[in-house]
Amino acid sequence: MATQSNNSNRGPEPKPRPLSPPPGQPPLLEDAGALALEEALKTSFRIIKVLMAALVIIFLFSGVFTVKPNELAVRLHFGRPVGMGTEQLLKPGLHWAYPYPIDEIVRIPVGQSHTLVSKTGWYAITPEQELSGQQPTPLHFLQAGVDGYTLTGDGNIIHAKATLKYRLDPTRAVSYTFNFAQVTNLIQNLLDNSLIYASSKFTAERALYLDLNAFREQVAQRFNRHLDDLQVGVLVETIEVQTTAPLSVKPAFDDVITAFQAANTNISQAEIYARIATNAAIAQATRLVNDGLTRSNELVKTVASDVSMFTQLQPYFRNDPQLFKQRLLTETMERVLTNAQEKFFVPARTDGKTRELRLQLSREPLRIQPPE
Amino acid sequence: MKRNPITLVTAGILALIFALMLFTFQVRQTEIAVVTTFGKFSRDITAPGFNWRLPWPIQRIYKFDNRIQNFEKKFEQTTTHDAINILITVYAGWRVVNPRLYLESLNGDSVKAEQTLEPLIRNAKNGVISQYRFGELISTNQADLKFDQIETNMLATVRPAASSTYGIEVAFVGIKQVGLPESITTKVFDRMKAERQTRVKQYQTDGEKAARIIRAEADSQANQIMADAKAKVIEITGNAEARASEYYKVLDQNPELANFLFQRNALEQSLKEKATLILDQQTPPFNMMGGQGAGITHSSPLK
Repeated sequence: MATQSNNSNRGPEPKPRPLSPPPGQPPLLEDAGALALEEALKTSFRIIKVLMAALVIIFLFSGVFTVKPNELAVRLHFGRPVGMGTEQLLKPGLHWAYPYPIDEIVRIPVGQSHTLVSKTGWYAITPEQELSGQQPTPLHFLQAGVDGYTLTGDGNIIHAKATLKYRLDPTRAVSYTFNFAQVTNLIQNLLDNSLIYASSKFTAERALYLDLNAFREQVAQRFNRHLDDLQVGVLVETIEVQTTAPLSVKPAFDDVITAFQAANTNISQAEIYARIATNAAIAQATRLVNDGLTRSNELVKTVASDVSMFTQLQPYFRNDPQLFKQRLLTETMERVLTNAQEKFFVPARTDGKTRELRLQLSREPLRIQPPE
Repeated sequence: MKRNPITLVTAGILALIFALMLFTFQVRQTEIAVVTTFGKFSRDITAPGFNWRLPWPIQRIYKFDNRIQNFEKKFEQTTTHDAINILITVYAGWRVVNPRLYLESLNGDSVKAEQTLEPLIRNAKNGVISQYRFGELISTNQADLKFDQIETNMLATVRPAASSTYGIEVAFVGIKQVGLPESITTKVFDRMKAERQTRVKQYQTDGEKAARIIRAEADSQANQIMADAKAKVIEITGNAEARASEYYKVLDQNPELANFLFQRNALEQSLKEKATLILDQQTPPFNMMGGQGAGITHSSPLK
């Protein structure tokens, strides 16, 4: 099409050279070659034009881009971020920008979780040893730069390791992307610093087993403070802290732990004894008081009933004291004799002499002497 | 001669692009730049965006990364105020804030910048550490610990020189690692073992002591509970006796009857179980059997 239009606008042109010889003459060899060359050039120009058109189209549409669900993007217009604050961040979806170099799209992967381990305080271990769960040979010294360790607040040496999981803070992703050259190294240094600082405040015992949670909290607190101060643009997911005594002094620490647990066991047993003793005393005291109450009530009621009986019997007694006493005594003897296990009636001898009775009381059995 | 308009447009665009390349430049968000004219400083650009320029070789643009760069070195030995040798690693963050000075003093070379920063930071570190005792670098006592102060002072020492001489802002300085010379670690290990042995004995004696105290207190408390209970029983019994005594006053009306009733009751109670009685004929009601029977009569329940 463009070719036709061009041809129609050219106006008067010099008469073209005949492409074929006059009738009756054979065609010239040079003309045939020129003809082929011209055709080839035309074809080449057509291809170049199509390519150029395609390039122009591609160039125009190259500004369309997609921000994926787990990322944000910033559009730099002549190198400057478009928008202010969080408005600079393009959310997931379809967007358009001017083609490079007018605009530049910087993608920020906010959805990814990153893991970083601080090993500056950890003992030297080969990957093979780590995989197999083996520990290196304990040495009675540590070599700076080779063996990692930290100094505790009480001047001891321990090994400490922090494992950080983090992701980008969507609200500060611009700072993370544009303010720091080696941001991973920076985060590593901040984590190392937090671990060293926490260690410098804690005693070895607290950092190792008495208060490991507080130690971890201290690491996390300082690390988060660093992130806020420097506006790194990172959100902490988890920080795990692992501590251990130096391998050569570990048995001594194990002895302390054993002694500590033994002391606690001793105290626990004493507390159990205390609870049992106190509860037993309370129970016994309660029983004692209740028995006392029962006996007292019984005494009072018995006396009350005795007095009541006395009051009721008094008129009869006054009538004939002797008969009254004889009657009651006889009744009593009846009950007594009925309940008695054995009864012996010994009548007086007819000859008036005294009767003799012999009692054979059971004795305590003799002890058998062991053979000498 | 007529020209093809597309060719003209294309040529125009190409010429425009070429001109823009010659006469403009961008400073990216992460960059800072200096413009020199015939090698002489013209202006610096600290904000990102679009800028005009004269083409090379008239003007030349130097762009520098203005993000915070990370700087760290390995262990170096230094001495505290109380003459304890320690090994320490520090890290720092720096960035270009004065591109002209950075260009003129360090030729805009970041490697050279780090080589220059190294002695500055080392001097600051050694100077500051020498002002503090070892116990101020590590301490369980919050009041003694000067860790933050040491870092702040190192930064304050290194910052002015880096800024005024090299156009570099040191954003932060921190301690990455603190260690001891190898021979000292051996002594520390010996001390740690000795301390642990002491601690073992301490736990043993403390545990035993605490357990004994707990047991003794429990026994004491139990005794106290029993003593209180006994006292209460005595009090209750006393009250009961007092009430009973009130009843007994009635018995004064007829002491003979009262005495008889008490005796009868005592007789009955004392012979209640498993009693063996030997009676003669004067005992009522056996006195009714006077003169009868010549021998001893024995009566017992079924066995």
